[in-house]
Amino acid sequence: MSRAFKLLVGLGVMLALLFSVACAETTEMAPETAAEETEKEAMAEEMPEESMAMTSRLDTVLERGHVICASRNDVPGYGSVDEAGNNVGFDIDLCRALAAAVLGDPDAFEIRLITAAERGPTVQSGEVDMLVRTVTWTTSRDASWGNYAQTMFYDGQGFMVPSSLGVTSAFELGGAAVCVTSGTTTELNMADFFRQNNLEYNPKVYEDTDVVLEAYESGACEVFTNDRSQLAALRTALANPEDHVILPETISEEPLGPVVPHGDEQWFDIVKTVMGILIYAEAYGINSTNVDEVAVGDNVKAKRLLGTEGSFGQEELGLDQIVGQTVIKAVGNYGEIYARNLDNPDGVQLPREGSRNALWSNAPCTDCPKGGQIYSQPLR
Amino acid sequence: MRLSLTYQGIPIWRHSRVLGWTAQIVSGIVVVAAVAFFIANLANAIDERDIPFGWSFLNREYSTPISEHLLPYQESDTFAYAFLVAAINTLMVSIVGVILATLLGIVVGAVQLSGNWVISRVATVYVEVFRNVPLLVQLFFWYILLLGLPRVSEGFVWLDSFYLSNSGLSLPAPRAQEMAVPWLLAVVVLIAISIGVRAWLARREERTGKPSYPLLGGVVVVVVGAIVAWFALGGEPFAISVPHPEGRFGRIVDGATLSTELTALLMGLIMYTAAFIAEIVRGGLQSVSKGQTEASRSLGLGTMETLRYITFPQALRVIVPPLISQYLNLTKNSSLALAIGYADLTSVAKTMTQTAPAVTIFLIIMLIYLSYSLTYSLIGNLYNRYIQFTGG
Repeated sequence: MSRAFKLLVGLGVMLALLFSVACAETTEMAPETAAEETEKEAMAEEMPEESMAMTSRLDTVLERGHVICASRNDVPGYGSVDEAGNNVGFDIDLCRALAAAVLGDPDAFEIRLITAAERGPTVQSGEVDMLVRTVTWTTSRDASWGNYAQTMFYDGQGFMVPSSLGVTSAFELGGAAVCVTSGTTTELNMADFFRQNNLEYNPKVYEDTDVVLEAYESGACEVFTNDRSQLAALRTALANPEDHVILPETISEEPLGPVVPHGDEQWFDIVKTVMGILIYAEAYGINSTNVDEVAVGDNVKAKRLLGTEGSFGQEELGLDQIVGQTVIKAVGNYGEIYARNLDNPDGVQLPREGSRNALWSNAPCTDCPKGGQIYSQPLR
Repeated sequence: MRLSLTYQGIPIWRHSRVLGWTAQIVSGIVVVAAVAFFIANLANAIDERDIPFGWSFLNREYSTPISEHLLPYQESDTFAYAFLVAAINTLMVSIVGVILATLLGIVVGAVQLSGNWVISRVATVYVEVFRNVPLLVQLFFWYILLLGLPRVSEGFVWLDSFYLSNSGLSLPAPRAQEMAVPWLLAVVVLIAISIGVRAWLARREERTGKPSYPLLGGVVVVVVGAIVAWFALGGEPFAISVPHPEGRFGRIVDGATLSTELTALLMGLIMYTAAFIAEIVRGGLQSVSKGQTEASRSLGLGTMETLRYITFPQALRVIVPPLISQYLNLTKNSSLALAIGYADLTSVAKTMTQTAPAVTIFLIIMLIYLSYSLTYSLIGNLYNRYIQFTGG
């Protein structure tokens, strides 16, 4: 009897193992076989091997009917919520531009709110179509998170302190308690800066910007460090904004821009093109109010952008011929987006003129630089 | 070979043992397959999406400060050591939290059954409020409440050595010097000797009938020995470190500091968990038959004695198993510390993901939390077995 049962148990265990191995193999095999099938179709178009997903992201988005962007709602100017409960901000407008370009409707988007630490995993998993959440472009993120489309805002990390302390330089911050949000390059830059300059400090790391502000305002820390633009934005949320100063030192390079998941080059190109449209339109003086005029005007390059003459690759990208018109009508050009969100007398004021975020030049005069670094690849 | 699995006449598909084993095997296969699927899925995802994975970072310099640490820590320490530092922070919160929450929970639980109407109502209100408000909200509440204290430059000072502000409470503390280790070794030896002395005195008392104060004898050996060793070692083993403000911001350095973040975290965890423990204790006490109390009272035992010697030991058997799961909850809930800026394991790990592979880091912290939980379970279950055996 007992031998028989042992035999049965042994058989069962073996079966279980076999089954699990087979199972593991099939799960490993599945994507490859799927990839093989699309390979045949894709061969003609010579698609690179990495992007052999079952369906392209563009198809997925068209089928779904809306674009999913990962962003935030806690920083005025970049991503916040207005009185009517809508997501607004610079980053949100980039998402709206993408929705307008792909689906023809700037409101066909969904914002997924994520914390700073969730940015990498969210875009790596491919569950969102675009990540626009004040994400700094670095090589290691480019390698492991996703593809950075374009720098849409040049930022750098700075320090804010109460003016009552009389601190005038970041080099005087030795011995201070410094508040910072978790999971960002901010933490690393801060560590580097203090270590480089042999300054003692005590970091206080929080998950949410709101709590950081609370701790900073109550004096639990003397210093709040973040990207300068965000400091300017968050300062407006303090009780007495004029009682706080942003120190002159900028301790890091923070080029911010949208990120798309790895593995779909067409989608990557679409996002780059949409960002290009916004900048290019400003350079050619096309804005949401004069689109219709320019579309029938006599500037060939402007007409190409608006789809009334020639092409800048719309068909290959899978975009509408008049995608330029749709986008500019829906959200305006780069300058309009900037002015609406970041240089608004009623909100965040980050003057653009003379900063790195001015245009590089006004097309077609490529030799008359405006001093900024905002530049787009030519749309032709 | 013919397998005689069945009794004569009973078909194999109706035989209870066969059915039982089949069910076992099928569920075993399902479990193994599910686990294999998830592991394969993770491996696949790591492969396909080039998610970084590896362990080599553990020997790299972490080069980021940790705001509070029980163990000594410098920025030049490795990731592996930073993990240890953070894990000890969490362990400390867990142990302190468990002890205080248990004490508070037992008191509140017992008080809920008190005959004093006002006190028992107060206890009930406490339980209902703290049990029903999300812990994260409570943490914010305590933290923001404590942030309401004056800032460090305007904080309270007593005798130039006690400082209280919204950055925390600082007080003088012993700091180990060169001779600390030999002295502590000497104390350990003295304790061993004192146990022998106590046993000898106890035997003497038994033999001769003269009072020999065994416990007092043992204590005297340790105290006198420790004092002699303190001066004989030629160098004080411990110095008193007095906190004092330093630098242009007047931050308090030296001494021992109980930070606002840690205090808020402990307050939140203790008050929240104690409310649950109170209910467990109340339930346990009520599960003991009333006849036990009546019998004890009729034997002349007072209320406290009845509770201590009769009701509580019996209630313990009902209380301990759910109590263990509260300890596990408290430990795991301590990971909310990041919300209020305390450098616990999860908080430090999240910072680490900036410069090291996130999947590996999360695997490590999962293992650490798991080991804490399993240790609590083990100790709890052993204790449970112990009281089951001797509880009578």
